[in-house]
Amino acid sequence: MERSEDQPLPRTGGGAPPSGPAPYAAPPAGGRWVRTGLVSIVAWIPLILLVTVAAVLVWESGLQNFGWSFFSFDYNLVPLTPGQTSFGIGVFVLGSAITAGLALLFATALSLALAISIAVYLPALPSRVLTILTNLLAGIPSVVFGLWGAVILAPYFGLTLEPALHAIIGWLPGFGGPTESIGPWGLLLATFILTIMIVPLTTALMRESLQSVPRDMVEAGLALGATRWEVVRRVRLRVARRGLWTAVLLGFARALGESLAVAMVIGASTTLPTSVYAPSTTVASFIFYQLDSAFTYPNLLRALVEYALILLVIALVVNLLAQRLTRVELATATMAGGLEAR
Amino acid sequence: MSAATGERSDGGSLVSAPGAVRRRIAFDRIIGWVLLLAFVAVLFPLFDMIYWVGEKALPSFGWQTLTETQVGLGGGLYAMIYGTLLLMVIATSFATAIGIAAGFYTAEFAPPVVQRIGRLAGNLLAGVPAIVLGYFGYIALVLYTHWGPTALAAGITLGVFMVPYVYRTTDLALSNVPTSQREATLAMGASRLQYLTRVGFPIAFPTILTGIFFAMALGVGDAAPVFYTAGFPSAVNQGLLSPTSYLTGAIWLFYSVPPSEGSLLTLGFQAAFVVILIVLGLNVVVQIISDRYRHRFRGLYA
Repeated sequence: MERSEDQPLPRTGGGAPPSGPAPYAAPPAGGRWVRTGLVSIVAWIPLILLVTVAAVLVWESGLQNFGWSFFSFDYNLVPLTPGQTSFGIGVFVLGSAITAGLALLFATALSLALAISIAVYLPALPSRVLTILTNLLAGIPSVVFGLWGAVILAPYFGLTLEPALHAIIGWLPGFGGPTESIGPWGLLLATFILTIMIVPLTTALMRESLQSVPRDMVEAGLALGATRWEVVRRVRLRVARRGLWTAVLLGFARALGESLAVAMVIGASTTLPTSVYAPSTTVASFIFYQLDSAFTYPNLLRALVEYALILLVIALVVNLLAQRLTRVELATATMAGGLEAR
Repeated sequence: MSAATGERSDGGSLVSAPGAVRRRIAFDRIIGWVLLLAFVAVLFPLFDMIYWVGEKALPSFGWQTLTETQVGLGGGLYAMIYGTLLLMVIATSFATAIGIAAGFYTAEFAPPVVQRIGRLAGNLLAGVPAIVLGYFGYIALVLYTHWGPTALAAGITLGVFMVPYVYRTTDLALSNVPTSQREATLAMGASRLQYLTRVGFPIAFPTILTGIFFAMALGVGDAAPVFYTAGFPSAVNQGLLSPTSYLTGAIWLFYSVPPSEGSLLTLGFQAAFVVILIVLGLNVVVQIISDRYRHRFRGLYA
């Protein structure tokens, strides 16, 4: 900025200086070629990319080929009688729903606590440091989460945590299945990894919406003698309601779309899970690790396109819902402090 | 109304019992500490992860890890590091060119309707699962083009993945430039393009840079977009139109290939270590730039 201040800006001819009822609406001629030229297409590029992705997937998918059996729980790539392959997505949808749903439950609780701490309770410096640290967590590559979960956490889950859960809350439906005999990789481990992975995003979004509660509302509450917690509960959480739901939705979409880390810890089973300890598969992780098989079976390649399409549709619907609640910048939500100076 | 409740009992007309005020204040204090427990739950995994990756990777880490090519059960990560850098160059060029151009147009020239659509589309694109983009890249850039898996296809797919981050940052940074700067420039008779290149862009530049580095950090760490498009040869990449290996793929591969232990798994951890270093480095750069920027433009954003 200092650079440009020294040298005077040359006037380009023709354009009238902005004046009259619409003072800034009429720019001089210099920008016109940009506005009307080819360059204007670039504004549409994100949309074009989005539409292209969807169009290619729709074009390639053979939804007619698979019909209603596609939405069944019946997945069989290499059947005993040839020609009887079936690509039911049910098992994977169930796996996605369980892992993403449970992860969302935990992540919501955790990140509410984090966001309230950062936005209300902590002094400026610790809250800044902790914000940076949680954003750092968002930057850790998903494959590293997967490696850590699969190699380091898995023995602990399989030998200690899962038997303990079985003993304590085994009477709950879903928690009563066998534990040690089926290996540590499964829904529970995947849920844990997913929880840690989406917490940074939901925390960042929740913190932002809690901090954007109008100051006078907060101060009115405090002036009436309410404690900070009472203001949080009765004012902030209510005013920021929409933003919080947005965070939850976007976290859910993120959890649904995570492929690599989940693929490493969920155990890759294509049968219905019998308990939360059992191995399973999510839609995203299934697409990921079927690469080698897809090269061998052209049929599977088409089925995977449909899986990808369904994943895309779900992600877009959830994201659109979230954006309708409150306009949020998903792309820059967990950026390390870059956009805070408004 | 005993003296024990102190001055605050004066405000006790809001509540029924005098002791209730003290209880409410105590509860408020306690919950502040209870909420801190959540940080333990979140930061423990972060540090545990970094600790274990270091523990597994460092004992046998040396120059040969970075300079040798992996052969069989031994060797180093040279091919993967080279591939990752190559992919990042392609992807960053792609994402930066498109993202900045789109951001410029959206922030400065686009009519409000186009603005709204573009911003929504950008955020939706950021919400598309990476694996879907990867699969799209596989169909569009590997199958349709008959190239087979190539570094170029993988780089472009990764670029598509990174576009929304650069685009949204650019747009936000330009939109956040104080209106006074814009009005002053236009009032001097400058065109919008002149404003953009001489005033708006220099002010927004540090933020745009953080956006690019942020996108790079995400791109380095996500294997899903390139998994289907890059192939994974063990040899070093031979050019844009030949397949390439990359670090995140190495982590997955060395884990998933049986027996998933021993020297290959160690190599996987070393790849993870290198990736974490790169990502942390990029994050530190982002932090430094944004701190300097805040300092430099403090008066501007008062």
